[in-house]
Amino acid sequence: MNVVLAIVAMLIFPGGLFVIVGSLAYEYVDRKLVARFQNRVGPRWFQPLADLVKLLVKEEIVPAGVNRGLFIWLPVAALAAAFTAALYIPMAGLAPTWGYRGDLVVTVYLLMMMTLCIGLAGANTADRFSLVGSTRALTQLFSYEAPFLLALLGPAIAAGTWRISEVNGYARESMWMIVTQPLGFLVALIGLMGKLELPPFDAPEAETEIVSGALTEYSGRGLAFFRLGRDVELLVGLTLISAFYLGGLANPLQFLLKTIGLLFITAALQSLFARLRIDQTVGLWWRAGAVLALVQLLILIGLKALGVHL
Amino acid sequence: MNVDTTLGGMTELLKPWTLMSRAVSDTRLEVETTPSGIVPAVGALKGAQWGFLSAITGLDHGAAAKADTGIAVKAMGDAAQNGGFEVLYHFCRGPSVLTFRVKLPREAPAVPTLSAVVPSALIYEKELAETFGVTIEGIPDRRRQFLSDDWPTNLYPMRKDFSPGSAEGIAQAAPVAPPVERRGTPGTFIVPIGPQHPALKEPGHFELTVDGEIVTHASIRLGYVHRGIEKGAEDRSWIHNIYLMERICGICSHIHSTAYVLGVEKLAGTAVPPRAQAIRTIFAEMERIHSHLLWLGVAAHEAGFDTLFMYSWRDRETIMDLLEEISGNRVNYSVNLLGGVKYDIDGKGADSLRRGLDFLEKRTRHYLQIVTSDESFLRRTRGVGAITFEQANLLGTVGPTARASGVSRDLRVEAPYMAYPDFPVKTVLDTRCDLEARFVVRINELFESYRLIHAMLAQLPPGDLAAALPRRVPEGEVISRVEAPRGELFYFIKSTGGVKPDRVKVRTPSLCNWAAVLSVAVGHKLADIPMIMVGIDPCFSCNDRSITVRRRGTEELWTWEELRRYGISYYGGEA
Amino acid sequence: MGKQLEGNVPGAFRSALDKAALWSRINSPWLVHFNSGSCNGCDIEILATLAPRYDLERFGVKLQGSPRHADVLICTGPVTRQARDRLLRTYEQMPAPKFVIAVGSCSISGGAFHGCYNIVGDVGDVIPVDVYIPGCPPRPEAIIDGVVQLLQKLKPPKAAPAASKDTGGTP
Repeated sequence: MNVVLAIVAMLIFPGGLFVIVGSLAYEYVDRKLVARFQNRVGPRWFQPLADLVKLLVKEEIVPAGVNRGLFIWLPVAALAAAFTAALYIPMAGLAPTWGYRGDLVVTVYLLMMMTLCIGLAGANTADRFSLVGSTRALTQLFSYEAPFLLALLGPAIAAGTWRISEVNGYARESMWMIVTQPLGFLVALIGLMGKLELPPFDAPEAETEIVSGALTEYSGRGLAFFRLGRDVELLVGLTLISAFYLGGLANPLQFLLKTIGLLFITAALQSLFARLRIDQTVGLWWRAGAVLALVQLLILIGLKALGVHL
Repeated sequence: MNVDTTLGGMTELLKPWTLMSRAVSDTRLEVETTPSGIVPAVGALKGAQWGFLSAITGLDHGAAAKADTGIAVKAMGDAAQNGGFEVLYHFCRGPSVLTFRVKLPREAPAVPTLSAVVPSALIYEKELAETFGVTIEGIPDRRRQFLSDDWPTNLYPMRKDFSPGSAEGIAQAAPVAPPVERRGTPGTFIVPIGPQHPALKEPGHFELTVDGEIVTHASIRLGYVHRGIEKGAEDRSWIHNIYLMERICGICSHIHSTAYVLGVEKLAGTAVPPRAQAIRTIFAEMERIHSHLLWLGVAAHEAGFDTLFMYSWRDRETIMDLLEEISGNRVNYSVNLLGGVKYDIDGKGADSLRRGLDFLEKRTRHYLQIVTSDESFLRRTRGVGAITFEQANLLGTVGPTARASGVSRDLRVEAPYMAYPDFPVKTVLDTRCDLEARFVVRINELFESYRLIHAMLAQLPPGDLAAALPRRVPEGEVISRVEAPRGELFYFIKSTGGVKPDRVKVRTPSLCNWAAVLSVAVGHKLADIPMIMVGIDPCFSCNDRSITVRRRGTEELWTWEELRRYGISYYGGEA
Repeated sequence: MGKQLEGNVPGAFRSALDKAALWSRINSPWLVHFNSGSCNGCDIEILATLAPRYDLERFGVKLQGSPRHADVLICTGPVTRQARDRLLRTYEQMPAPKFVIAVGSCSISGGAFHGCYNIVGDVGDVIPVDVYIPGCPPRPEAIIDGVVQLLQKLKPPKAAPAASKDTGGTP
């Protein structure tokens, strides 16, 4: 791919500008849906953009005693990772800009970067590298990142490839994997909501101030980057899950319908779940769920080995 | 032991320490005693399990300071009373009030602390010490409660020789800078950011010491809303004070002004027309409705259920509309006059009321169902924050908090006032003692309020809206106790026959309940604290309360919001 | 409202970036609430504006828990001695640009508590105030109007409209 096209891809479509606009649009849809569920009018369509610009032009206060370099660059790294991940997925239902064998694994790692950066940011500002601070970050990672990864591996194994575009292709030809791997779908969706701290699937552990602690310290640019990064992750996550579990994304229309459909479900879970909230056993259930996802994976591998095709 | 629990019986019991006793009315007994006699006398009272300490009033009989109120001192008939202080300890049991009176000299006034016998006395004694300068001997805790730490030490605002004018200079003086903890290289200024950088050691509203997750010690520091109202009341006419008392609390403004006018009317010996009393009562119940719905939303928000908060506040708008339709204002309805009410409820108003209440009743059933069956809600409330019956009694809790622990304290039932004698109230009790019980009690009280208003509307007495009161209220002392949404509201009003009151003492119900909360907090998880505190329906004006959390030898300053989120995420929710 | 200026205003030229910044501030005002000793009346009406009937989120208003995330400090109460320092500190913790709305009669002059010994009275004596909203308490509609007035204040002054034949009064 020549350099000009590459730059366009990174900055405008499907990366950069398109991702920014898309993420802000999805944040709007999410907030609007939640508001409607709560019987309110909700925000205007340009609200996420206004919030972003406002934060960018606001004064940034750097707390005393933190590592200044880390403080400034962690949000940038998080956002950059999210943007990069967007280049590997079938954004807008079109073929991913770049792809190679194993890009699924790379993408998952890129998505993990966001959580890691937030965790480190929290450790930096709240506990200043204390052991407790970094332990909290790791706990957060294991609670949701690992199951999310496992859930994405399921369809990959069924498709027999580690390349996202090929998994997407496989998904288009076979039965929707939400049917054949329902547990994986559930784990993936909940994992995504947990990563993004969408209610009610926050980390099941007690001390999660690391994440909220990190964001509390930021104002201005850093906060803007973290927030935008979360929106991008939402978009990327929804795209991946619909591509893998909802029969692949062949064109922009399918992309829109399937991702917005998933968004509707997450918004509903956010607001209506106030009544049906998972109780104290959420921690145990969650680990059990992750284990079951693992078991499902093993079964898949086994079936493949025996030559059974799903 | 068969103790005669009537006031007459108590007179007998307290004889050994009595200098003089006087039955002011058939429900009020006054026993004068000495500083050395007060503790054993109260001990005897406690032994007979008679009543609970409702309030401690300080009085300054000093003649000199009458000058700035412009009233000539009327001889009280007892020369020894002039120029000294007096402390009144009010113990209440149902409709009866037993008041111990202790006279103190002007220089070095001192009384021993009651807190060993009556733990809830501590808060009232501190108020007495800070505002009157009475030394409380043996007080276990010398920290200030009501006045700020930088208030000058020998200035006692409730004394007659202190006028608010003299505070002008103090209020606007540059605040004393609290000590700044310097970290890092010398000369660097620490920006006070973050929950774990308490660079400026300000007093948190609450101080919690935790061992791991469990709270081992809790204490409270009030005073953020201390405005100096009691002193202000001495400087305003009887009518002007109605408007001041209304604004002690925006949520229960009507009940405050009601307690006040009922007291003044008693002093003046005025009979209020029954229609006025009924209208006052209807407003009181409407206020209870709005207050309980407000609390439901706030409590839901504390637990992280913002949807329930939104729904309950949306429904609450119905009662706000009704209040506005009849009185003209959503908050501070200003219904009361001295001698009656300003507004009437006509046919149209009554119809709107009935319709609105029917709608609210349906919604309330829905909320009752949520509160008693929603899994995650119950996890934060069932079995949490239990205040046993004995504790509730001992610690002097009032209102729905007490009733949820099986303590049947409801002034509308025990000492019916206004229209309650004609429209009796059924006490809503629950014996489960935990947070869930407090939710259930308040919601069931809503049903009772709906029923009451319907009954009163159906039988609204005809007649005048107000009777006339003299401009100068005859001298005397009166105690006015009413049932606010949060519990017993206690007013002590003293007149020396002038156009302004000599003393207005207000004891709000939340003050009674803090002692219970603090003692119950110990042993609970830190994540439960927000719900336990909100369970007594505290004055939520201090929503920016900050909490000092001591753990592992370090001290962190949390905001209320952080503690709330901590509680929510602990229980697996979204903060 | 914005100041009315005669004729066109040269020098009021703003770069596109400034315009965008201004637009974003007007449309995304995040609030932090501070009670400096009020009776709660104003506070519950402020909260009511976030509830479904009035729904301040429509204007982009969000209530933040931390002053570091806020643009506008909405303050109630007559500023008691104890609250005064915390009010000051809360204001200082807010990053620029920041604005202050004082809600209720108490925050203007002490309101019903004027003359009481433990209050400062005017919030403006402690921190600079941009908009005062009088009332005891002001209705949610009045609070919304106050917020909108603040946002209007942020807009650049408009040129006065060309004189028209039939206008007689103040525009």
